[in-house]
Amino acid sequence: MLKPRQMSHLFITGSKNQMEPVIQELYRQNVFHIEEFVEQTMEGYEGVKIGTPLPGASEAASKLIMIRSIENTFGVKLEDVVPQKMVPVQQLRETIDTKLSAIVSEVEQIQAKKSTCEEAVRDLEQKINELKPFAAVPIPLEMYSGYQNIAVFTGRISKNPDLTVPNETYFSHAKEGNFIAVFAPAEHSEKVQLGLLQANFVAVPAPKGEGLPQDLLNLYTGQIAAFKKEVALIQERLEAMKKEQIEFLAASEELMSADIDKAEAPLRFAMTSEAFLAEGWVPADRVDVLSDALVKVTGGKILVTVLPIDFEHDSVPVEYNNPSFSKPSQVLMDVYSRPTYTEVDPTLMVSIVFPLFFGMIVGDVGYGLIFLAMSLGLRNYLKGEAGEQLLTVLRNASISSIFFGIIYSEFLGFALLRWKPVLYSRHLMTEAGGHGPNIPELMILSIWIGILHITLGRLLGMYNHAKQDHGHHRTLAVMANFGWLAVMWGILLAIWSSVVIPLMPNLTGLPVVVSVLNVGNIIGGVLILVGIILIARESILEVIELPTIVSHVLSYARLVAVGLSGVAIAMVVNYMSIEMFISPALENFTIMSIVMILVGLGIFLFGHTLNIALTLLGGGLHSIRLHYVEFFTKFYKGGGKKYIPFGMKRRFTED
Amino acid sequence: MAAELVVAATDLAMIQAQQAGMKAIGAGLAVGLTGIGTGVAEMGIGAAAVGAIAENKDFFGLGLLFTVIPETIVIFGLVVGLLLLFL
Repeated sequence: MLKPRQMSHLFITGSKNQMEPVIQELYRQNVFHIEEFVEQTMEGYEGVKIGTPLPGASEAASKLIMIRSIENTFGVKLEDVVPQKMVPVQQLRETIDTKLSAIVSEVEQIQAKKSTCEEAVRDLEQKINELKPFAAVPIPLEMYSGYQNIAVFTGRISKNPDLTVPNETYFSHAKEGNFIAVFAPAEHSEKVQLGLLQANFVAVPAPKGEGLPQDLLNLYTGQIAAFKKEVALIQERLEAMKKEQIEFLAASEELMSADIDKAEAPLRFAMTSEAFLAEGWVPADRVDVLSDALVKVTGGKILVTVLPIDFEHDSVPVEYNNPSFSKPSQVLMDVYSRPTYTEVDPTLMVSIVFPLFFGMIVGDVGYGLIFLAMSLGLRNYLKGEAGEQLLTVLRNASISSIFFGIIYSEFLGFALLRWKPVLYSRHLMTEAGGHGPNIPELMILSIWIGILHITLGRLLGMYNHAKQDHGHHRTLAVMANFGWLAVMWGILLAIWSSVVIPLMPNLTGLPVVVSVLNVGNIIGGVLILVGIILIARESILEVIELPTIVSHVLSYARLVAVGLSGVAIAMVVNYMSIEMFISPALENFTIMSIVMILVGLGIFLFGHTLNIALTLLGGGLHSIRLHYVEFFTKFYKGGGKKYIPFGMKRRFTED
Repeated sequence: MAAELVVAATDLAMIQAQQAGMKAIGAGLAVGLTGIGTGVAEMGIGAAAVGAIAENKDFFGLGLLFTVIPETIVIFGLVVGLLLLFL
């Protein structure tokens, strides 16, 4: 909580022949984050090289390619497969070779058959296209060729031509182009050609074949249908095969990937001629378990050392360590940047404050319920860890929206029946007996939230610098953070002592010291001055950032402003649909009223859909932005390396 | 005398109505102009951020963050507008 998981720096050394059992055990434990070895030319590294992979890597890789190509044919992905039961590894290893090659040859056969059928269909379709124009002419195909004294012209034409020579012509009128077949004595062929060209003749050669074109067309269509049926049957067979073999394929893919990972692990180790050295990170509470297991599998022929962590040079991998309640918010952290090992992990704070901000902005029971339904309903479509986390964040945010909706008394922009807003109202239109919106109060409340949030951020900044920095710089950095706080609170003190603001302390009554300045003004001024000096001592350039103190605090006014814009849209939509269309229609009911009610309902649905999208975007983006820009910039660096243990979460196989 | 009073009263009502109108115009200008300012500012950032995200998807979070930074301007406009209308 508030800190990443404690890590230990582990150094595993053994002789080369112990490497394989060690790799097997490391993979099984799935806790060892390998620090990749980089070859160095420094003194002391002579003879230490990157390791060579274990045998069997290329074989496993070629099998994996086969498996993936079959999965590709079936159109499945490993992530989408739902595991039914675990397959024992031993059994799988025995059968994988024969079974896989059987599947491959069967799939190849089926595929070959399928592509022959598909090719035949394409051929027939081509033939049909060639034949189609001739279907209009009742002449068998063999009659178009084989003459000595007669020239034959067939093709598309714009109109029936006027030919001056003796001829026999079939002309058919059709939408896609008129078709003509002209038979004329060979000696007149030039004249016929001329006459045809005048009518924009485009020659279409007669296809080879025998019989009437219409009959052939019917025949070909029948053949195509038969082939298509066969393709469908093949497809069905593939589907059946997919169902039958998917478990085996998924399990094999998992096993082969694991084999490759293990076989290639030495590439990340350092190796001398006789020994191997593996460096990496393990969660501190798992060190004992892992080293005991390693000693056991090697029969004690191994050296496992816990190295001290050198924070200057080591980049420690970071694994979140959060209560299950705030785990989903890790996705929001990863979007920004994973915390480094030594700094405060603000996930817990984000997981509490983000829903509150979102709720404050949305603050509507109706929208909250819709978001809740969305977060539950989308679970079937949005797979993967990040997607699920995001939906859980949305769920928490929607519950908070419902809560704030009750406080504000809002339901899709209407007031909740017989329920007055608690504390402050956001109702823009004053209804009879109710009071208008308490905008100034809400604004000041949001400013208070900003002041507290930023103060928390600065305090965390002081803590982080105190923990991470050393020597003189550490003092300066901590004091600079204190300086920022002093300036902010100094400005506040000075303001409170000069003007009366609702919901804020009134210090105008303090004893006056010089002319119009009272004690509060003086203390505030001193705080500002001291703060500026402390900031400037760390870095003089930072002083130009001073206005951000005001702008960042005021930025929290968006909690109210964005929310109010949403309320305004909802109220306008309600007014347009109900006051302008539905109510007048109901008062004086005629046939036209039905149309008016429908229009009113349309406006209602469209307007609220738009507003839901805007509210979701606005609420989510502005809440997270307040964290990223206003909160995180005060203390958070990020840039931590993700902890990726060597191993895999097995879904389909077991030992 | 009485006529002058009536004229004064109507003048007052007119002036008040005009003032309310001016407030509304001011609020509208506050939101509209800051909106334009935000848009202009986000234009360049957004284009660059999309380019960066196309190169490297990990940049999405930071890109989104940079893009919404100028949003503060329009929020201030909205705040001023709301205060003008309701304070």
